[in-house]
Amino acid sequence: MITVKDLHKTFINPDGAKNQVLRGINYEINKGEKIVVIGPSGSGKSTFLRCLNLLERPTSGQIIFDGIDITNPKADINMVRQDMGMVFQHFNLFNNLTIMDNITLAPVKLKIMSKEEANEKALSLLERVNLKDKADAYPVSLSGGQKQRIAIVRSLAMNPKLMLFDEPTSALDPEMVGEVLEVMKELADNGMTMVVVTHEMGFAREVGTKVLFMDEGNIMEENTPYEFFNSPKSPRLKDFLSKVL
Amino acid sequence: MQEWFLRIADQFNQSFIYKDRWKLYLDGLGITLEVSLFSALIGLVLGIFVALMRLSQKEDGRSTILSKIAGAYIDVIRGTPAVVQLLIMWFIIMNNSKNGILVASISFGINSGAYIAEIVRAGILAVDKGQTEAGRSLGLSNAQTMIYIIIPQAIKNVLPPICNEFVTLIKETAIIGYVSLDDLTRVANQITSASYNAFMPLIIAAVIYFVIIKILTLLIGKLERRLRKSDNR
Ligand SMILES: Nc1ncnc2c1ncn2[C@@H]1O[C@H](COP(=O)(O)OP(=O)(O)O)[C@@H](O)[C@H]1O
Ligand SMILES: [Mg+2]
Repeated sequence: MITVKDLHKTFINPDGAKNQVLRGINYEINKGEKIVVIGPSGSGKSTFLRCLNLLERPTSGQIIFDGIDITNPKADINMVRQDMGMVFQHFNLFNNLTIMDNITLAPVKLKIMSKEEANEKALSLLERVNLKDKADAYPVSLSGGQKQRIAIVRSLAMNPKLMLFDEPTSALDPEMVGEVLEVMKELADNGMTMVVVTHEMGFAREVGTKVLFMDEGNIMEENTPYEFFNSPKSPRLKDFLSKVL
Repeated sequence: MQEWFLRIADQFNQSFIYKDRWKLYLDGLGITLEVSLFSALIGLVLGIFVALMRLSQKEDGRSTILSKIAGAYIDVIRGTPAVVQLLIMWFIIMNNSKNGILVASISFGINSGAYIAEIVRAGILAVDKGQTEAGRSLGLSNAQTMIYIIIPQAIKNVLPPICNEFVTLIKETAIIGYVSLDDLTRVANQITSASYNAFMPLIIAAVIYFVIIKILTLLIGKLERRLRKSDNR
């Protein structure tokens, strides 16, 4: 479904210094896989994820999505993004819109659905996450866990082929982590292809089809969850796991 | 003491009541407000355009030529005195026009456009970057994200400062006597000449300016509190 070839990303700091954040990533994700990405802070996990939907422009390398090279400057980024949902650490619900409008804005404005179809879809998705009663509320009145479930629903309303999650539970109070992971698990069970950056090792074990360890802009290690956690190979991963488990 | 009071009363009579001179101040205030309002409207439209130009960037994040033009305009306007801009407009650029109101409104409109552009730009930049990223990640274009998400949130940020800019204009247009407009300041000057007394006409003009501006400032404060209360963030 998505193939990443020799992906590099270098940021130029304001003082002109170069910061090589991604140093040649190669990876292939197949339909239905749930890729969990872990690694120390600053290792480039977010940048990797944000390159996949071109929120960051790769410095070099290729990303092939459904047979299209989306890094080609001629590729229609907006079309590509319609097929890739993204869930952010800080939810990023649209503050000026009700929950209903948050969910229906993109499908309606992009002429994927009529207003009625979008409303119907939104209500059934809200039902699935038990937040139907919040349809007319504004984001400010929701808890973090509710916001993140809405953010997931907002992405799903576009019927994406792939969902990207960037630490979706890291900004939540502990008691709200479970409700969000629950929704993500359900999504995984329904066959969604997912790339999830997270510190929730339980989720990685339980839901991941593959777990990646990123360090210093590279994928240092990649394995099935069982192998990954039970027989880590590189000393860096062993060290990392000893700290987080 | 009584003598002093009588002298003041006489001056007031001479400067305000005598020959219905109060009507002149009123007309002058009318011209001041007219030019301020037209300037504010021109400035608002111009300012929004220039702010969007200034913020425009290519998909790879580099700034555009439009952005540089907008930056230069803001720089030049903010780096030169409004009087000089007004005189350039009157004597050079629009020297065929006898319509002082038009010339003054355009000149001050262009002037306040630069300041409003900076207000609007700051208001847009104050909206959390995550809002843009969420919009773009759903496939909305840059323009759609601006229109449906960013600008509605930015309006709340910029409405009070833009109203303040209008208040500022009321004071700054006190120089439009240069283009033969009998605004409040010039009227006070004329009555000074006619009555051989500078004190009272200038005090009267100052009081009128102050009262108008105080009222508007209070209203803006009210608006600001209302906006804050209805804040959905
Ligand atoms: N927009 C940006 N501009 C400049 N540097 C950035 C930007 N985004 C991330 N970085 C830098 O890239 C590095 C990796 O960041 P990130 O991908 O967020 O790591 P992680 O998500 O693994 O914590 C950090 O050093 C960070 O400072
Ligand atoms: Mg991160």
